[in-house]
This record gives sequence, C-alpha cells and structure tokens, in this order.
Amino acid sequence: MVVVLAVIAMVSAGILSVVYGTTSVIIEENAARALESSVYDVLPSATRVDIIRRSPDEHGVDDPKEMREQEQRTTLIYQGINEQDQVIGYAFVGEANGYGGVIRVLVGVDEASDQILNIKVLEHTETPGLGSRIEDESFRNRFVGKTIEDPIAINQDIDNISGATVSSRAVADAVRKGFVETSSLYRGGE
Amino acid sequence: MSLFTILLSALLVNNFVLVRFLGICPFMGVSKQVDSAIGMGLATTFVMVVAAAATWLIQWFILEPFGLPFLQNMSFILVIASMVQLVEMFLHKTSPSLYRAMGIFLPLITTNCAILGLAIMGVQNSYTFIETVVFGLGGGLGFTLALILLAGIREELQFADIPKPLRGAGIAFILAGLLSLAFGGFAGLV
Amino acid sequence: MRLWKDFVRGLWGENPTFRLLIGLCPTLAVTTSAINGMSMGLATAFVLLCSSALISLLKNVIPAKVRIPAYIIVIATFVTIVDLVMNAYMPDLHQVLGLFIPLIVVNCIVLGRAEAFASKNSVIASAFDGLGMGLGFTWALTLLGAIREVFGAGSIFGYSFVAEGATTLGIMALPPGAFITLGILLAVMNMIAARQKKKTS
Repeated sequence: MVVVLAVIAMVSAGILSVVYGTTSVIIEENAARALESSVYDVLPSATRVDIIRRSPDEHGVDDPKEMREQEQRTTLIYQGINEQDQVIGYAFVGEANGYGGVIRVLVGVDEASDQILNIKVLEHTETPGLGSRIEDESFRNRFVGKTIEDPIAINQDIDNISGATVSSRAVADAVRKGFVETSSLYRGGE
Repeated sequence: MSLFTILLSALLVNNFVLVRFLGICPFMGVSKQVDSAIGMGLATTFVMVVAAAATWLIQWFILEPFGLPFLQNMSFILVIASMVQLVEMFLHKTSPSLYRAMGIFLPLITTNCAILGLAIMGVQNSYTFIETVVFGLGGGLGFTLALILLAGIREELQFADIPKPLRGAGIAFILAGLLSLAFGGFAGLV
Repeated sequence: MRLWKDFVRGLWGENPTFRLLIGLCPTLAVTTSAINGMSMGLATAFVLLCSSALISLLKNVIPAKVRIPAYIIVIATFVTIVDLVMNAYMPDLHQVLGLFIPLIVVNCIVLGRAEAFASKNSVIASAFDGLGMGLGFTWALTLLGAIREVFGAGSIFGYSFVAEGATTLGIMALPPGAFITLGILLAVMNMIAARQKKKTS
C-alpha cells in the first residue's frame, strides 16, 4: 500500500524535476529580458544596458556553500550606456513589503548628478484602485530628482497617496533601501 | 511591515473571502446557519494557523535548502491534508464535545483553497515564521467573519419573498457582492 | 453514444459552475476579462483531462485506502507542469492568473471527478468526462469574464468598443462585480433549466 504511494510520488517527483529543469532556464531568461526592457523606461537615453554584478565582499572563495551565499548577496546593477559609449546612469531593483505582498521597484539614477531619473513598479499585489495607484505617473514623479542625501521617506520629502499610506511607504522604503545599498557598491567599485 | 498591519490586512482590507476570493466553496456551502458558520470558521482558523506554521517550516528547511521549489504545491497540499487528519484525531481523543461540534467540517477543510493559498502567499511575501502565523490567524478570522456575516443575513432571508430563480445560491452571491462592496470601505484603512 | 453523453454532461446538465456550484474561487477571481476566464478554464480542463485519464488507468493499482493521497499527487503533478510551462511560455498570462494556477490542485472539480467518475470508469470514458467538465467550466468562466469585461472595461476579448476615456462600470472589474454578476447569471441559468424541464415533462 505504502509502496504504491511511494512509487507514484517518486515517479511524479522525477517527471517534475525534468520539467522544472527545462522550464526554469526559460523562466529566468524571460524575467531577465523583461527586466532589461524595463531598464530603458527608467534610463530613457540609454541605448544599451550592461549588467554588473557586485557583492559586498569580493574575496576569492572556493567553498561551494560560501559561493552560494555570496551569490545570494550579489546585487545586480544595470548600467545604461548611450550611443557614444558613455555611461549615462545606472538602475537597480528595490524591494519592500506593501499591503498585499512584495512590491518590487526599478529605479534609474543619473550618472553625473546622482539624481533619480525615474522609477517603475515591476511587481505588486496592492488593492486595485487604491494601493495600485503607486503605478501612477503622478506618484512616481515624486521620487524624481532625489539623491542619496535625501531622506526619501513618506511624510518627509515624499507625499503619500491618500488612502494608500502603507503602499506609498513601501515604495519609498524599497527605493531608499535599494539606493543606499547599490550606491555604495556602485561608487565603491569604481 | 508590522504584525498588526498583516493581521488587519488579512482580516479586513484584503479579506480572504470577499476580496481575494479564497474559500468560496465553504463560504457558500456552510453559510445557511450562524451556528454552523461559527463552527466551520473556528475549525478553519485553527487549521490555517497550524498549516501556516507547518508549510513555513517545509519551505525554508526542506524545499529551499535542497533546491526543490517545484515540489512546493504537492508537499503543501499533502501536509495540509495530513494536518487536517491529525487535528481530527487529536480532537477525537481529547475533546469529544469539540469534536462533535467541529468534526463534520474537518474533512471539508482540506479542499478549502484559502489554506493552500495562504501557505503559498506566505512564501511569496517571504514572511518570517511569526509573520506567517499571524497571517494565518488574520486569514482564518477574516474567513470566519465573512462566513458569520453572510450566514446572519441568509437566516433573516429565510422568510423573505425572493424570486424563485434567485433562491439559494443566486441571492447568496448577490449578498456576498454587497458585503464585498462594504468591505471595499476598509481599503483606505491604515 | 455513451461517450458523447459523458462528454456533454459537463457542458450543461452537470455544469460544474452553474449546476454543481463547485470550483468557485477561480470562477470569481480571474474573470476580470473574457480571455483571462478562458485561459483559466483551459488550464483547468487540461489538468482534468490528464488526471482523469491517468487515475482511471491506475485505478486497479492504487489501493483503496491511500487513493485520496495518490489522486492528490497525480493532480498536483499535472498542476505543477501547467504552472511551470505557462510561466515559461506565457509569462504575462501566468502573472495575471497568479495564485489560482497552483490552486487548481484544490479545485473540487478535479478531485471530485477523480473520485466520482475516473475511479470507476474506463480510461476513454474518463477522458471524455474530464474534457466535458473542463470545457463546461471553461465556457462558464469565459461568459462571466466577457460580461464583466463588457461592462467593466468596455471591451470584449481585448477589443475596445467605447470611446477612449469613456466612463465604464469599474465596479464590475472589482470583487463586488464578480459576486453580483455570478448571482444574476445563476438565476438566469435556473430559469433556463426550469423552462427546459417544463418542456420535457
């Protein structure tokens, strides 16, 4: 009785691991491509995007477990490059928990002035009609021109959307956290 | 995101039944009388909290470390089914009176999609253990609240003169729509 | 002839949505547009067809005592396959249907047909039954999605027929609209069924 159940479970796990093996590559590629095309939205003058990997402690590690942990801490930074091969800015992804779940925001920063050029909400599950207004241009524009020196916080330099304080705060948190983390890595690495 | 926000969000703003559409089958099936609605609601809440804790442990101690995310669905539903069985056996042994009150609802709980949905959403939001348990509690209480409200109205409607084709499920859905509209008012909360 | 009966039963007489009132969560949640409803229906129909056929094939191998966990494993396998394949080849649709794809596993229609039909009938009959139920579910979801899309967004299958910027009944796309539309649809279906009954008797 138990044997039959175990066999069925094993066969199905085997089939699933094969399907997962083939699809996970495509799923990751899709996600990467979608993200890359969003980078052009937040860095409008870029014609090409380079991906830089930066991890906080880049010493040689050979232990596989340590390598995996390092991989998880690695931040992907998207560098926008124009036709003249000049770096015009960089973009990064910030995350924070909103009302309905995780909010992921892509932020584009100008290379010369270090000011935010634009932000884009990549993923959210906020209430339609209320929290979902974080996608609106009028809200996103409140972040434009901010630098790392600014607090980037609700009730300080960013006005929240009335009736959607938690969602607004989550976006600000995501932008600020990502900015602080990425900025030091990006500038430090040069 | 504070624990209170998670609780409030799951209970009122993103009510599992009326806003997220999870657990509609028992919501329609067991909402004819307030008494059974209370029993079903509490039994579901209990299983939800236990299942939230169990699935959290599986996700972060088994599936994630061993790289088996594709077994999430299968392992979660099997764990939930076993949990329901365990709760049933435990109640049967320890508290016959409680078992009599809740017993008939327990087998129905396995196929309540609110429980599997809760487990998957908890993982997607990368909640901590405590947050997941609170999320489960809020979701369960939200389900109970919606169920009791609908049952209360349906009891009152027993003697109302409803057009024949609308009787039963038809009017129940319209009532649920009005409740959902009312719950929309919570959207601006927090 | 019998096979035809097995197939048609799910479409009308025992339509899962309108007559049996099961599988209601995705019915309400993803029907914000006709195309979303149809996709959800077809994904469920695929799982139903495959799991009904396979469970019928395995019915003599699976011991009665562990049949429910065994069915759940079979169903969960197909659901995960659908989930992964959709994520890989239809990422936009996968994003919209989201949580409700993995939740097909607890859709009472699938387990219900496994227990009530596939475990007692031949593979071919079970496949026809599964397909009929799946398509019955699909047309119900497509209809509900179409109604909500027409009123909520002023379009049908994505083709807009109102002037740009026109005010639509936004509430239809929101949760209350789902409940109320289904309630009214159920009443209409009840009326049609009652009229049919009258005619035959």
